Amino acid sequence: MIAYSRYSFVGHWQKITLLLLLMVSVCWFFADTEVIALDPWSELGRMWQGFVHPDFFATEYLLDALWQTISFALFGITIGLLLGFPLALWYQHPLVAAMCAFIRAIHEIFWALIFLQIFGLSAITGILAIALPYAATFARVFADILQQAPMHTLFSLPKGTDKLSAFIYGRWMHMYPQIVDYIRYRFECALRSSAVLGFIGMPTLGFYLESAFRQGHYQQGGALLILFVLLIGSIRFWAKPIMLWLYLPLAVYFLPPIPVIDSQLIWRFISVDVLPPMLQGQPFLSWFDTDKLAQLVNWSYTLISQQVFPGMVATLVLAFCALGLTHVLTLVLLPFNTRLMMPKVVILIMRAVNLILRSLPEYLLAFVFMMLLGPSMLPAIIALALHNSGLMVFLMSRQADSVSVPLTYRPRIDQYSYLVLPAIYPHFMGLLFYRFEVIIRETAILGMLGVMTLGFYVDSNFSEIRFSGALLLLVFTAGLNVVVDYLARRLLHYPRNRLQAC
Amino acid sequence: MKLTHLLSASFLSLFSTVALSATFTFTAIPDEDESQLRTRFDKVADYLTEQLGVEVKYIPVKSYSAAVTAFRNNQVQLAWFGGLSGVQARRLVPGSEAIAQGFEDQFFKSYLIAHKSTEMAASTNFPLLNDYTFTFGSKDSTSGRLMPQYFIEKNTGKPIEQIFKRIGFSGDHSRTISQVEAGVYQVGAVNYKVWDTAVENGDVDTSKVKVIWESPTYPDYQWTVHSGVDEKFGAGFKEKLTKTLIGMTDKDLLASFPRESFVPAKNSDYEPIERVAKTIGMLD
Repeated sequence: MIAYSRYSFVGHWQKITLLLLLMVSVCWFFADTEVIALDPWSELGRMWQGFVHPDFFATEYLLDALWQTISFALFGITIGLLLGFPLALWYQHPLVAAMCAFIRAIHEIFWALIFLQIFGLSAITGILAIALPYAATFARVFADILQQAPMHTLFSLPKGTDKLSAFIYGRWMHMYPQIVDYIRYRFECALRSSAVLGFIGMPTLGFYLESAFRQGHYQQGGALLILFVLLIGSIRFWAKPIMLWLYLPLAVYFLPPIPVIDSQLIWRFISVDVLPPMLQGQPFLSWFDTDKLAQLVNWSYTLISQQVFPGMVATLVLAFCALGLTHVLTLVLLPFNTRLMMPKVVILIMRAVNLILRSLPEYLLAFVFMMLLGPSMLPAIIALALHNSGLMVFLMSRQADSVSVPLTYRPRIDQYSYLVLPAIYPHFMGLLFYRFEVIIRETAILGMLGVMTLGFYVDSNFSEIRFSGALLLLVFTAGLNVVVDYLARRLLHYPRNRLQAC
Repeated sequence: MKLTHLLSASFLSLFSTVALSATFTFTAIPDEDESQLRTRFDKVADYLTEQLGVEVKYIPVKSYSAAVTAFRNNQVQLAWFGGLSGVQARRLVPGSEAIAQGFEDQFFKSYLIAHKSTEMAASTNFPLLNDYTFTFGSKDSTSGRLMPQYFIEKNTGKPIEQIFKRIGFSGDHSRTISQVEAGVYQVGAVNYKVWDTAVENGDVDTSKVKVIWESPTYPDYQWTVHSGVDEKFGAGFKEKLTKTLIGMTDKDLLASFPRESFVPAKNSDYEPIERVAKTIGMLD
């Protein structure tokens, strides 16, 4: 320790923060942040008009879309829970943990694009695309939560109690409120995911939302967006746990007809589509011929050097810049959101602002900023930062409110900075680094908007019907996320807390 | 929760098989205005049901690649494809056929449009595009991506990455127009019909953005039908379908596509598209 004594006034979190800022400034230097738009005002005016005069009747089958958005989220969560619980119990096993990390790392949209090849345009595609990554997240979070369960009940159980009872009474019941809390929060995420799946063809709100914005029907788009924000904002009024017993059967009843699953499609996907073009339809033994191998090496090299590598660099640069901006924005916004600084009125207004920020899909935010700032990385950075800081502030303000302060405390920025911020900062950083993983995943959607991240190349491969290329890119995308997650955990010695995950 | 779900899943599997037997399903994405898709194309489905004597259903899709996938999986037996997506689909489903195309699709074209700051004027000579920022439409569009890229590379003799300072994909023709109008990109490639409609409706400020070059013509949108429909829906079904499509005269129905009328087409009409797609590396 002596060697470090000269710097010992710089604390652990200060070091991490400085390191983060350093990384962000390096990335910002390389990022393409040129402001280009010359004349955005007439288009922005049209957008504004759309929000001022929303047209709620322009969307066909609107109730249908609203209901499907809820129903996909319900199914996704239910199946996610059914798969996630058992996985949580096995989560200590490194293989299970790695598998879950891998599944989590691929964005719902890409899961949906994969399932689209197997199940076609069917509800199964959308539901599984939510259920699978959510199951992996549940597994990890529940494992974390269960580990915090106090042991005393377990020791006080009579001898010979069977394992299941011991688990349920000794551990599960201790953490039950936390688990329910987390599921409720996750349901909000599922609604967002469900809407976003509409972007690629599921019959949810996103289907119409994306078309409306893409084609400049802003009155329709504005109306849909308002509905979506209201839907998310009112969750606690309509999604009481008891109501699920009503909603689930209804969801089943109103599910769109599911086409027969064709096992040939599944077989074709795993035996032909996923193979690189030169191996498709070739007998297995000929795969190892020298010319085939040479072609394969050539194919992978081209893909990796022209798509994987540039995509990865762009993804990381974009994600770091967004992370830095999220850090700053959250720190600035947080004081306005805690009762330790602001009167109730301000907090209520800020709640509404937060709700809007975190409900708006990044895709739409980026779309608006692109009009204003041009097609560089800047719109994507700002969109990601706004959305994520909206979420961070939402989660952190609860923490800040629960900090106990001395009676002499006055709501002033100096006292806040001295008494409140340090108490919540470790948690804040933990959450921020978890968001990093999420931001990397979310760059996928912005790739579909044309920012050349890994998501852009994955999307291109899917639209050129080159599934093997898309899958190779997805493997690298997932790998990148797993590495980032691992490094972040190492860096922070993750304090275990349920709030870290969404 | 678990029990409900299990029960419902088994119920579902009962219904689903019944729901889809012997229904002829099609999909279509118009090149302009995707609003009210189902309402508009359900009318087309009604017309086809009436004329063909089988139940016809419309499935809305979001992108050409989704349409190709649905066609390949036999989830739809008929599709209104763009030039490129039609070629992709027919390569994936041997025996499938282009049977009809829009009247306008026999001689379709793209425009290059430019923001006023470029000070370029309309010309029959190919414009000098060096170092401008440029946007295509959607990645898999024929008139917004494939043909423009081909014409640009052919006329300049260079790959597009070496010509433009920045290349984007706006995702849609209307967005290409609004982005070039806003100066987000200086030059863009757009479907001529979408541009003409936008000018007609006053949706575009022509003092800020205008057409600088018009491409040679090429074949575009067409109806492609799955192989094996004759076996499933009776001998002569394909022929009947072709006649029904070409015989569509109701202006209201045609406006959904939007096309003046439909005329016969065949696979070989689209060989140029396939060649071009191979040239620029979008097909292997």
